Amino acid sequence: MEPKYKPGDKVRILQRNQPGHVRTPIYVRGKTGVIERIVGSFPNPELLAYGHTGLPYKMLYRVNFRQSDLWDDYDGPVDDTLEIEIYEHWLAPA
Amino acid sequence: MRGPQDYGGLPAGPVDPVTHEHEPTHWEKTVDALMMLVFDQKRQLARVDESRRMQEALGEDYHKFPYYERWLQAVTWLMLEKGVFSQEELEAKQAEVRARLEAERNGA
Amino acid sequence: MSEHHHDHDHPTHTHDGKPIQEDPLPPIEAQILEASVRELLIEKGIVSAEEIRRAIEVMETRGESLGARIVARAWTDPAFKEKLLHHSDDALLEFGIDMRPMELCVVENTEDVHNMVVCTLCSCYPRPILGIPPAWYKRRDYRARAVREPRAVLKEFGTVLPDSKQVRVHDSNADLRYLVLPKRPEGTEGWSVEQLEALITRDSMIGVSDVRDPAESGA
Repeated sequence: MEPKYKPGDKVRILQRNQPGHVRTPIYVRGKTGVIERIVGSFPNPELLAYGHTGLPYKMLYRVNFRQSDLWDDYDGPVDDTLEIEIYEHWLAPA
Repeated sequence: MRGPQDYGGLPAGPVDPVTHEHEPTHWEKTVDALMMLVFDQKRQLARVDESRRMQEALGEDYHKFPYYERWLQAVTWLMLEKGVFSQEELEAKQAEVRARLEAERNGA
Repeated sequence: MSEHHHDHDHPTHTHDGKPIQEDPLPPIEAQILEASVRELLIEKGIVSAEEIRRAIEVMETRGESLGARIVARAWTDPAFKEKLLHHSDDALLEFGIDMRPMELCVVENTEDVHNMVVCTLCSCYPRPILGIPPAWYKRRDYRARAVREPRAVLKEFGTVLPDSKQVRVHDSNADLRYLVLPKRPEGTEGWSVEQLEALITRDSMIGVSDVRDPAESGA
């Protein structure tokens, strides 16, 4: 399985209106960050949560955000960042 | 829609680590151990993802339960869903345990 | 909507400021449910009482000392440190730990970057290394605020960082588990591994505080 993104790529987190178990918190949806690393492929937790095998595997990435891009009222230096793991189907090129 | 577990960025109070720090109690360690075993590779009984989904299904009640009681509730429902034990078996066992605990409290 | 309903009923500190152990037992219905589920699982052969006892024992002996040993080894052995940062599976096997299918992501504190770990969605934590997460880590306040106002949260732990140092928060929301590799403090040249281990606290490996001050350690 080939990763769609590589470290350094700018990506936007999709605003998927997906009910049920997801591991993409609301605070990063719609935000733009940069791929920090490709973590690897894993069974999809959105399916595992309902007792399914979680296949096919999904590619997982770590995405880096500037805190000032995540929060309008971020009270700290512009260099402060946040990193979080996002599955490929939640990403689009930015 | 924001699930009840999705706390990132919400308004909240002091973290107050001095108050919210204690040696895990024996009860907590027992629940923790039980959870770890139920979800382990050996048993292939359930994934921790399923128990997260169960906890999230609590909706607003998610916020009412202390941590380990929430886990315990979720795992109970998961075991029922998977047919590990039935509602009848659970209720019978609870009655038995209740009677035993009450006898301990009164008789001891 | 408060998770604090147990706290209101009990004093939290003694008059000389020591934190009081919370009630060792939850409400009776929770005790009944726990015992019922445990006994049913044992009766059904899913788990054994011995397995539970042994799991608790492992939990009790693990604590934060394993994490401290790993960090001290990384401080004193550059090849191990490289392995820890880039092939954590192999590094952990040297300590007899196999976390798979989860993977340990070790994030290194430097002159320029201070790392801090949270799980906003639940309480993911490197349990095989650090044991059970502290209560505050699992509560709403930390999970909500660590991502949004990390510096204010750090201040609650007595950790104040200059603006010139980047605070990098890691939300442990999927298949990685995180360990902060604190910076080895100045003034510890020539220290033994045991002396170094004594400086490394659980909180420094979560990233809410720094390691103990070597000047205060009396070593």
